[in-house]
Amino acid sequence: MTDDTALIEFITSQRWYGSKTREVGSATVVDRAKLRDGLELQLVEVRFETGTHETYQLLTDARGFDALPEDAHARTLLELMRAGETVQGNEGAVEFAALGNVSTPEAARLIEGEQSNSSVVFDDALILKVFRRVEAGINPELELLRFLTEAGFPNIAELSGWYAYVGAQMEATLGIMQRFVVGAEDGWERALDAIVAGDEAFLDTLRRLGEVTGRMHSALGSDPADPSFCPEQTSTESLGLLTATVDEEIERVFVSLPDDVPDLDLIRGRGEEVRERLRLLTNIGGTGRVIRVHGDFHLGQTLWDGEDWVILDFEGEPARSLPERRRKRSPLRDVAGMLGSFGYAASAAEVLRDTPAPDDWEERAREEFLEGYRATVDRSLVPSGAAMDKLLKVFELEKAVYELRYELNNRPDWVRIPVLGLARMLEEEVPV
Amino acid sequence: MSEAGSWFERQPLWFKTSVFYEVHLRAFFDGNDDGSGDFRGLTDKLDYLQWLGVDCVWLLPFYPSPLRDGGYDIADFYEINPDYGTVDDFRQFVDQAHQRGIRVIADLVMNHTSSDHAWFQASRTDPAGEYGDFYVWGDDDTRWSEARIIFLDTEPSNWTWDPVRGQYYWHRFFSHQPDLNYDNPDVQRNMLDVLRFWLDLGLDGFRLDAVPYLYERDGTNGENLPETHEFLKRVRAEIDANYQDRVMLAEANQWPADVVAYFGDGDECHMAFHFPVMPRMFMAMRREDALPMIEILEQTPPIPDNAQWGLFLRNHDELTLEMVTDEERDYMYAEYAKDPRMKLNLGIRRRLAPLLDNGRDEIQLMHAILFSLPGSPVLYYGDEVGMGDNIFLGDRDGVRTPMQWTGDRNGGFSRADFQQLFLPPLMDPVYGFQAVNVEAQLRQPNSLLRWLHRLIALRKDHPVFGLGTYEALRPENPRIFAHVRTYEDDIILCVHNVARSAQAVELDLSRWEGFIPEEMFGRTRFPRIGELPYLLTLAPRGFFWFQLRKETGE
Repeated sequence: MTDDTALIEFITSQRWYGSKTREVGSATVVDRAKLRDGLELQLVEVRFETGTHETYQLLTDARGFDALPEDAHARTLLELMRAGETVQGNEGAVEFAALGNVSTPEAARLIEGEQSNSSVVFDDALILKVFRRVEAGINPELELLRFLTEAGFPNIAELSGWYAYVGAQMEATLGIMQRFVVGAEDGWERALDAIVAGDEAFLDTLRRLGEVTGRMHSALGSDPADPSFCPEQTSTESLGLLTATVDEEIERVFVSLPDDVPDLDLIRGRGEEVRERLRLLTNIGGTGRVIRVHGDFHLGQTLWDGEDWVILDFEGEPARSLPERRRKRSPLRDVAGMLGSFGYAASAAEVLRDTPAPDDWEERAREEFLEGYRATVDRSLVPSGAAMDKLLKVFELEKAVYELRYELNNRPDWVRIPVLGLARMLEEEVPV
Repeated sequence: MSEAGSWFERQPLWFKTSVFYEVHLRAFFDGNDDGSGDFRGLTDKLDYLQWLGVDCVWLLPFYPSPLRDGGYDIADFYEINPDYGTVDDFRQFVDQAHQRGIRVIADLVMNHTSSDHAWFQASRTDPAGEYGDFYVWGDDDTRWSEARIIFLDTEPSNWTWDPVRGQYYWHRFFSHQPDLNYDNPDVQRNMLDVLRFWLDLGLDGFRLDAVPYLYERDGTNGENLPETHEFLKRVRAEIDANYQDRVMLAEANQWPADVVAYFGDGDECHMAFHFPVMPRMFMAMRREDALPMIEILEQTPPIPDNAQWGLFLRNHDELTLEMVTDEERDYMYAEYAKDPRMKLNLGIRRRLAPLLDNGRDEIQLMHAILFSLPGSPVLYYGDEVGMGDNIFLGDRDGVRTPMQWTGDRNGGFSRADFQQLFLPPLMDPVYGFQAVNVEAQLRQPNSLLRWLHRLIALRKDHPVFGLGTYEALRPENPRIFAHVRTYEDDIILCVHNVARSAQAVELDLSRWEGFIPEEMFGRTRFPRIGELPYLLTLAPRGFFWFQLRKETGE
């Protein structure tokens, strides 16, 4: 049996561990499957002191809790997918599947995963993403990648395989494999580089990013026959639901702001002001239609491959539950996420690289992006005129509050960025 | 993984930590503009229920029915009432609910059918045929006279003469609801087939209506008979063997000591409603005395670990006063049913908000107490926004008026003409849809709806409310209802003031000396618990919930 304390210590110290602020009571292996000699997949239930729990995926070998960095083990996962194997565990089974021809890899390398997962790159051709936090149901990343791959949407890294757990305990996606985009640079780094270097051409590529985003939304809203994807009219109280949701998130974040973080001074005690702003912004008529969206859309989820943008990471925001991430939302929520990340980049250039962005950089970035977006998006999905501007602001506010909570829990050094963003939003005029 | 794969993690005890929400389908939302709520309409409102934090929707009967008893008079167990849609609409609703993490249970009446049911029609016309013995027939109407008449206001006897067959038939409820004959193995088999049909469609369980009356025996009152328990155990075994994470919720309006028999040894029903606690909560509020609640909880026997009480403030029926003493009933009538129209059978047909004179503090306090007690709370649609009732509508229709979504036409319930609506929505200045509706309360941060949403979220963060032990504190001040719930390392202290005036109370918390009480809504830390009694002051009808936290080094 595994030593409970060591297991807890390992899991809670991982970057992909999502509940860093909570007290852990115990950790138990609820199922294990021997994938190959020496490589075991474990589902570990981490229980919190209040009695709730989360489940995590571990890949272990004789040496320890994390076998993924081992070249051979990573390749085993790919082999299993290629062979379409099903491996029986103690309770349930792990099912592997591949789409099309997958070649035998020569080399595998682990790359530092973001947030909730770990990734392995094979031969610069394929990338395997291992979801660490496991939840019952289909992961939206698998769902959306499959949908967009089948729809022939060009600006993604196509799906080439996945593996899932199927057992009485739950059915859950454990990982996906897709094309690795060679020689690409992520949008976030490019933005910071462009600000530091004063590179004007980058702004033109943001217009292209807007076009790609508009096309992505049009594609996501293009199949009325598929109940998981068909666009829906919003109900009369949907704006109320949105207002209530965002308002409560603001309240929750401000109630628990730590006293000992000076970076928060700019917004401390201004929770009511933020809520007031929300009220002003939510006096809108229509909210357009709702569709499945990217869900966590920002510069860090994009790649520039030298010629065009590739959109990544359709998992949704890691801190939200799976049913919440699968909800249909206004596509403007993605747009707001991206616009917010321009502000993030502008602040980050100053905070992380000591180079303040030009005063009009963010504004120009927004304009370029929105112009591209408006040109390609299916206009029946979004409201028009001032309603669109206001709704965008509501989603930007929601995003900023979410980021604040996320950074407080995960990256305290970055807290200043959402704080600056929020403070700036409070100074802006409300669109009329 | 299959597309229709499960959207839930296995959790056989899910119902113990769930918040239930009772929906009257006809009154919830009209998805096809015909003036009556339906499955498509309900599906449209799932986002709202997901936001509210509801874990399980309980549907009132949706089967074809002549609707002489709100659908509890079922005419076909295998179909959907055409007003509500089709079996396919039902399947889609369940699937959409599951995708949002919401489970669905439905009412099922096992005791009787509508007299319109094909089984009864066959039984009365062909006594020797396949269905001849499906009901309880007799040549005289004096047998089993010990069995009480439940619908006192309308039924003179439990027997009614059928001129077609030339015999009397037995019915514990309305005369148009003949009791099925469970001594006939074919009836048992048929009922199990019905259960399987809906479970196979994805339903997560049943609320078993009128469950104590399945059998009749000489010299008994025909309630809670051993044969009834035996059959329910058979149903449970059948479900456990073939399905995962389903629930049987018994409606047995009986004293707790009798109701616990419906849990068996953890091998009968998963849940049962705790009827007597509810009238005593209302009594405690009027008398400004916590004792009625403390007493009834003391009299409640322990239940198996895998079982749970269902607790509620109000439901689709009258506020039943069967499980109180005569004296208590007189008191309740005098205090809560001043207009005789408010009475029905042995109960009061009113909604929560009017019962509490629309007092916001009272409504919140009642919810807080409900949520703090050992059991799973069951909310009644519309009570989350404080809807009222219409006592001028017949029977229990007064508490089944259309859900008030917006301040627009028909309260946003339906786009049909007003005259087409199955019942008029409330339009009075206090409880009408222009004053009380979901949309307005969503936008108003201090609304009842928003408060309740927070309460639900808080409860879900703390499984202790569903799983923990319950220990009453007995402070000297009788107006304070205080208790401690404990589960694993989570210790919750709940203190409620049932008085109309501010109160001070000293609590003996010496066992938790050194702990810091942290108020759970605002996360405010209160002074450390010491050796001496812990002093708290509470606002009129106010309450505090504290998480007792071990002092840390900070």
